[in-house]
Amino acid sequence: MPPLASAPQPVQKQAPETRPFDERLPKGRVGFVTLVSLLVIALVTVVLFSLATGAVRVSPRAILAALLGHHHPLTETQQIILLQIRLPRVLASAVVGAALAISGLMFQGLFRNPMADPYVIGSSGGAVLGACLGIFFFSQLSFLGFSATALLAFAGSVITMAIVYSLARSNGRTNVITLLLAGFAVSTMLGYSSYFFEILGNRSGSTQILLSWLHGVIGIPHWTQLSVTAALLLLAIVAAMPLMRRLNTLALGDEYAHQLGIKVEYTRVGIILTGSLLTAAAVSLGGLISFAGLIVPHVARLLLGPDHVRLLPVTALSGAIFLVVADTLARSVFAPTEIPVGILMAFIGGPFFLYLLRKTKRSYVL
Amino acid sequence: MKPLMSFRNVSFGYGSLDVVQSASFDLQAGSCTALIGPNGAGKTTILKLAAGTLRSRSGSVILNDEPLHTLALKRVARTVALVPQQLDVPFQFTVREVVEQGRTPYLGFLRGLMSEDRTAVDQALDLADITGLQHRIFNELSGGERQRVKIALGLAQQPKLLLLDEPTQNLDIGRQVELIDLLHFLRAEGITIFASIHDLQLVEGNFSSVLLLSPDLPLMNGTPEEILKPSILEKAFNCPPRRHPLLLERMQHQVKRAG
Repeated sequence: MPPLASAPQPVQKQAPETRPFDERLPKGRVGFVTLVSLLVIALVTVVLFSLATGAVRVSPRAILAALLGHHHPLTETQQIILLQIRLPRVLASAVVGAALAISGLMFQGLFRNPMADPYVIGSSGGAVLGACLGIFFFSQLSFLGFSATALLAFAGSVITMAIVYSLARSNGRTNVITLLLAGFAVSTMLGYSSYFFEILGNRSGSTQILLSWLHGVIGIPHWTQLSVTAALLLLAIVAAMPLMRRLNTLALGDEYAHQLGIKVEYTRVGIILTGSLLTAAAVSLGGLISFAGLIVPHVARLLLGPDHVRLLPVTALSGAIFLVVADTLARSVFAPTEIPVGILMAFIGGPFFLYLLRKTKRSYVL
Repeated sequence: MKPLMSFRNVSFGYGSLDVVQSASFDLQAGSCTALIGPNGAGKTTILKLAAGTLRSRSGSVILNDEPLHTLALKRVARTVALVPQQLDVPFQFTVREVVEQGRTPYLGFLRGLMSEDRTAVDQALDLADITGLQHRIFNELSGGERQRVKIALGLAQQPKLLLLDEPTQNLDIGRQVELIDLLHFLRAEGITIFASIHDLQLVEGNFSSVLLLSPDLPLMNGTPEEILKPSILEKAFNCPPRRHPLLLERMQHQVKRAG
């Protein structure tokens, strides 16, 4: 045991600069380039394994060869299964995962709270209700190549966000408890409105489509649908890029951001529109999938820190990986029965959300 | 000399509550002004009006001969920085990441931080003497350290006028002295200082002028000697005579000088 100091030492003036702290990264954080490289490798690997998984087994190596156009040992049936069934589905999961994760990141930044996510705050519910209206009343209409269903999903998402947001704001602050309660109430209302359409659908025969939307099933999308949604995702990512730096500034509070020259209202509207576009894109492919937008940005923030500019690519990649894995599990664990990935996500995401709720209890009131 | 900032008959209120009524005063370039007054007299409101966060109901705030509200937000933010009383950061930003936000008024629509911005951040960290803290998490710092980070954030804006809202609040006496030294240093660097100060004992000797804001008195502007008189303070703070050690001490001081 070291001897105790025998005489009181004169207290040294502790100027901050004398504290030893030279590390570039705070404890537990990973470098940006390392993380992005690892995630790209992980995404490719996960996609290959997901393509290989299913009733007809194919080796990932043969798939890679086939996709790269090399000589490969695949039969024609295997090729059809891969390219027309599994590949669209795997890509759709990746798009849905990335879209949900980025919109979660944006909403969390906007509300300055790690508990926001398109599902929790009702944005997904709004998109589903909009889509239901589209299916039932305007299934034949389209505008600029987009179906009325997709446009109404977007509108539903934006309107819900605007309602929840205005309910949660008072005196320039966001009350987090009001936000979560308003989100819960609006989500529940929208959920039951959608069930109402489900009952109507029983008469007209669209129940199957609706059920898969409400339960979160990533089906096998048509290539056109997939490419339109992927294009929307890219568009939203481009729109999100200039907003990310502003989200960092908004983290200091609206008033401070204004003082630093940020046009707070424009930025907010931009974030709500982009986040809702992403939610609508995700919903149009996968329906209601809970918690993906909550978990992914949160974990990314733990690894990388809260800088939204660097979080954007990391969250997009992680979201894609997460949902590809989840959807692969959803269709293979109980094979030949498929469970909707939305249900699987609720099993994983619910407990995680509760854990987060406990952990961040103290930072509840901003 | 032309003042850096002037308030001309500025009035402001929240709802039906009038907080500032027809305030007029000048802030000379290079001065170091303390804003004092009782709780709720509108010190924070005055600072927010000076930063352009709030807009006056009538009258105008003039910055370098131009009305503040006609200037672009970014242009104001390059000249005036407000260090708030409280800064809540919801995520685990490092000190450097927080201070980098001070460069916001210099960034374009898409342009991120360039080398001159990094230099400005380095300088701000150095001026506030927190270079060693830059990779620490802001939320894990002590009150005194956070105060310095907030000042560095303001300095990263490279302002001509630095507004500080109660910078010595919640600091122990040692950190208070360090903070006052920092303000002296910044003033020597050519930055005009305008700070609301709760602790009147810190005002004399440290500030070149004092602005007294009180609901019961007209706005008073003068040197610390002119303003910090027991007769004025008693009225301004509605403090019973001879009940506060500060007032007692000042009265004895006056008697001694007279004798």
